Amino acid sequence: MAYSDKVIDHYENPRNVGTLDKDSGDVGTGLVGAPACGDVMRLQIRVSDAGVIEDAKFKTFGCGSAIASSSLATEWIKGKTLDEAETIKNTQIVEELNLPPVKIHCSVLAEDAIKSAIADFRAKQAARRELEKQD
Amino acid sequence: MQDPFDTLGLEPRFALDLAQAEERHRTLSRTLHPDRNAGRPPAERRLALGRAIEVNSAWRALRDPIARAECLLARAGVLVGEGNEPRPPASLLMEMMEAREALTVARSHRDAIALEKLASAMRTRESALLEGLARAFDEAAGDRVILAQRALEDLGTLRYVRRFFAEVEAIEEELAS
Repeated sequence: MAYSDKVIDHYENPRNVGTLDKDSGDVGTGLVGAPACGDVMRLQIRVSDAGVIEDAKFKTFGCGSAIASSSLATEWIKGKTLDEAETIKNTQIVEELNLPPVKIHCSVLAEDAIKSAIADFRAKQAARRELEKQD
Repeated sequence: MQDPFDTLGLEPRFALDLAQAEERHRTLSRTLHPDRNAGRPPAERRLALGRAIEVNSAWRALRDPIARAECLLARAGVLVGEGNEPRPPASLLMEMMEAREALTVARSHRDAIALEKLASAMRTRESALLEGLARAFDEAAGDRVILAQRALEDLGTLRYVRRFFAEVEAIEEELAS
């Protein structure tokens, strides 16, 4: 199957590959996977006090489209607020990378990863507020 | 495609006797071979050729545990593939992320011993999974609901394991060159 130029570019020069400290209070981690193809994707965000995503990292073991989708996702969410990042839809990724129908699930995975990283960060914040209340 | 178990005339079980299945494939292939059917009318030769192709693909499917599990699930009416399978549990995703990262480290250090250790641990994991699946299929006895509950998650895990081994092979080739 032929990959689009943009997929190849992200695959050969993935942006923001790496790890953030998952135990840090300002980091949210999303870990998602597609059992039908054996892909696993981790996407992490570091969020400022103002609720802006200052940094994003990913690590994906999967096909070129899965790597490109997560690489693009980190590029897009950097500098965005959590609320803005949450509105990113997999269809935008499909369009940008020109993904064929059989690879749409890769973009779904990337959207899931963003959402679950945000949810993880928010859960951490809520837990911390709960602790502060008790003090 | 016709059901591979039916094609080879085998009892539909996950714990398949592979030697018996291979023997059945060989016997059928021999009878259906074009050389054996050279004197027959063209329609019969075409039929034999079609059957030969079917027999080959049935054997290919049955000797692969993932395809074999998918065949058995299809027989029971359980849908597999994208959108039909449960989300993998976080513990599995974490395990596979760590396993794949460990492979990346072994690769960058060109450490064949570490690589073999990781592969060996995953082979143990795979054996346990295959045993568990064999039990699940036998005990569910074709019950769709029970099978979906018991077999789908292990099938997903098995696909992650296969991806892992594909990566091990690629690294082994790289280290050998």
